[in-house]
Amino acid sequence: MKTFWKAVLPVAVLLLLWQAACNMEIWSQYVLPSPQRVFQSFEAMLRDGTLFRHILVSLWRVLSGFSIAFVLAFLLGILAGVHPASAPFYKHIVEFMRNVPPLSLIALLILWFGIGETSKLIIIVLASFFPMFLNIKKGLAACDVKLLEVGRSLNFSETQLFLKIRLPNALPDILVGMRVGLGYSWRAIIGAEMIAASSGLGYLILDAQQMSRSDKVIVGIFVIGLVGFLCDRLFSYAIQKVLHGGVDDSWS
Amino acid sequence: MEVLTIAGVKIETLCKNYQVADKQLPVLNGLTAEFPEESITVILGRSGCGKTTLLRILGGLEGYDSGSLTVPHHSKIGMVFQEPRLMPWLTVWKNIVFGLPKGRVSEQAVRALIETVGLSGFEKAYPAQLSGGMQQRAALARALAYDPELILMDEPFAALDYFTRETMQNELIRIYSLQKKSVVFVTHSIDEALLIGQKIFILDHGRAEREFSLSGFPYPRELLSPELIGIKKEIITIMKQRSSL
Repeated sequence: MKTFWKAVLPVAVLLLLWQAACNMEIWSQYVLPSPQRVFQSFEAMLRDGTLFRHILVSLWRVLSGFSIAFVLAFLLGILAGVHPASAPFYKHIVEFMRNVPPLSLIALLILWFGIGETSKLIIIVLASFFPMFLNIKKGLAACDVKLLEVGRSLNFSETQLFLKIRLPNALPDILVGMRVGLGYSWRAIIGAEMIAASSGLGYLILDAQQMSRSDKVIVGIFVIGLVGFLCDRLFSYAIQKVLHGGVDDSWS
Repeated sequence: MEVLTIAGVKIETLCKNYQVADKQLPVLNGLTAEFPEESITVILGRSGCGKTTLLRILGGLEGYDSGSLTVPHHSKIGMVFQEPRLMPWLTVWKNIVFGLPKGRVSEQAVRALIETVGLSGFEKAYPAQLSGGMQQRAALARALAYDPELILMDEPFAALDYFTRETMQNELIRIYSLQKKSVVFVTHSIDEALLIGQKIFILDHGRAEREFSLSGFPYPRELLSPELIGIKKEIITIMKQRSSL
């Protein structure tokens, strides 16, 4: 319970400061809307369903793009992890692409694929592919030789070595890559939706800004943070369940 | 020779070199030895004498440069390493049945094995929850569950404390008496070799320096018996002589 109050305290202080600043009317209601006004907008948007509609659109985009990226990263990660000698073929391309923010490609992507779903999916795939690929590759390549020798002493085939030792041994890295990738794709989709979209949380913020509704902008920011936080928590809970079988430190 | 190869593992004039900084470093230098079936053969030697390399060659984990190695056809070989090498993501039970195909796991046999190595009640524990000795016992159970004809053991008790080590040595003798497996056991401890070995090879500079047969000594052995003290003195003299060369 103590931890709960420790977590609540800074949030309460921030809210109080925000309310105090509004009461003192330092800034206009347009620049800094009061917490009540933001809450009222939040309630209204929840009631008429607009908030859910935008959340679902953004979530759907993230999940589809993330799934495509995962499949690609997994297949290529296996190839790269199991055959480290192939590194010279792709290393420089990966390093180059990893340093190009996916949002910088949006102009080209709109030109090539229009403002439909495809360009947004590609943005998400590009954003989440690299952390997943690099982690999967690392996890598979860094498999402890001593454990592989156990498999060899038990007469395992190469497929058995992969499925029974390499893959489960790489699971922590794979899951960490997925967690980072999910966070990246969530950030990227909001950016993409602010540039070219007619729905989604990014669009919600941009639309509110154009209507001079800063209260709705704050609602949008709040919801993005909340959904991202919940997704991450859910993922970290799943990781804990999968990795440790409910036992702490079972993965050394 | 044909008769001998059926009886157990045989190696002849085995050579193995390691390449270290442009230099050929001989590890096994024309080693010839025979490992009888249903017997505990101990390879005794100082650190760096080639014991582990020999065991890894016997287990098929490493190749050799010249000579011959004859392993009975279709024989299953199990290994117990210096470290437990358990899969950290699997429970004790799953680690023990790790080498078995899914359909071939006899619950009763595994339970009996767990009882033998004294891990009853820890079936669902993860390796990180076990002590070093318990992990090593689980590794031994894994090798036994695989039901090999030949078990290769590379200083498996070296990292254990005196009492756990003694328990494990007795455990090995008990398992051997029950199941009559062929065991090749590598150690640098003379006492350990005298306690468990039926045949002792002294390995030095990549060759089998001397061979002692202890099959006439029943288990459990008393290390302070005059005969074993005599053999121990002889072994120490040989090992000292060789190292001073």
